[in-house]
Amino acid sequence: MDEFQSAEETTFVVDEITTIIKETVESIIGNSPFQHNRTNSWTSSIIESSLNQLSKLGKPFKYIVTCIIMQRNGAGLHTANSCFWDNAIDGSCTVRWENNTVYCIVSVFGLAI
Amino acid sequence: MMDLAKEKAARLLKKRASVSSLGSHEVRAKDTIGKTKDSISTVSYIDEPGHHDDIPRPTVHMENTYQLTPPQRFPVSTVKDILKDVLTSYLQEEKYEADLCRQMTKTISEVVKARVKDLMIPRYKIIVIIWIGQIRDQNIRMGSRCLWDATHDTYSSHSFKNNSLFAVANVYGVYFE
Repeated sequence: MDEFQSAEETTFVVDEITTIIKETVESIIGNSPFQHNRTNSWTSSIIESSLNQLSKLGKPFKYIVTCIIMQRNGAGLHTANSCFWDNAIDGSCTVRWENNTVYCIVSVFGLAI
Repeated sequence: MMDLAKEKAARLLKKRASVSSLGSHEVRAKDTIGKTKDSISTVSYIDEPGHHDDIPRPTVHMENTYQLTPPQRFPVSTVKDILKDVLTSYLQEEKYEADLCRQMTKTISEVVKARVKDLMIPRYKIIVIIWIGQIRDQNIRMGSRCLWDATHDTYSSHSFKNNSLFAVANVYGVYFE
């Protein structure tokens, strides 16, 4: 018979993922000022690197990662998400990061297979 | 062995909305409450009481359906029409105001989710994300990437703009195997 993975390996662990994302964003943007021509590569690198690390965790999850980079200009931004899933096994986490000129918001949704 | 496997594999698809909006004081805590014998406890804190059913339902044991592919694909264009419709009807005449838009993001995400659920697409999990922002001569770049099964899973997106605000809506449909 199949051996099922233990509980720790099949649930969405928010803290672990938050740490991974924070380190990723820190290493990619760091202290750089906001530059319009670099935002494209920043978002791509952040997302790609996060997804790589998430898949290395080896958990049976499908992931959706979204990243928003915004210039700090006093403008407001609101975001909301609504999910139709199984609350016991699926989860999400959102990380907000900022420096002097850049706001970065990364959301990760994990859906169990 | 089979029972244990079935029990672990059996899950109730809970129709529970978890809405969070990012303000300047965003705090989210999650621990877990479960019903099956080896689960852990969950409480999710959200801004409003929302629609939680407090009465725990009995665990349903589901049989294997031996179904590999979805009988019906996620209708991308229909969902895009829903997004267009909802965004324009709610935001056409609005000006950006912090409180209004905070409420608006939550309301719109709930409305879109309800309408997509009405399409009754079997075995698909749905994620709706709404962003509303103020236009103030700033630059913003949004990106999203997904690790999933590209043959069955997809997304639909729409953006809307008026004089004082912009709104972006994304709906992801993920097949539940």
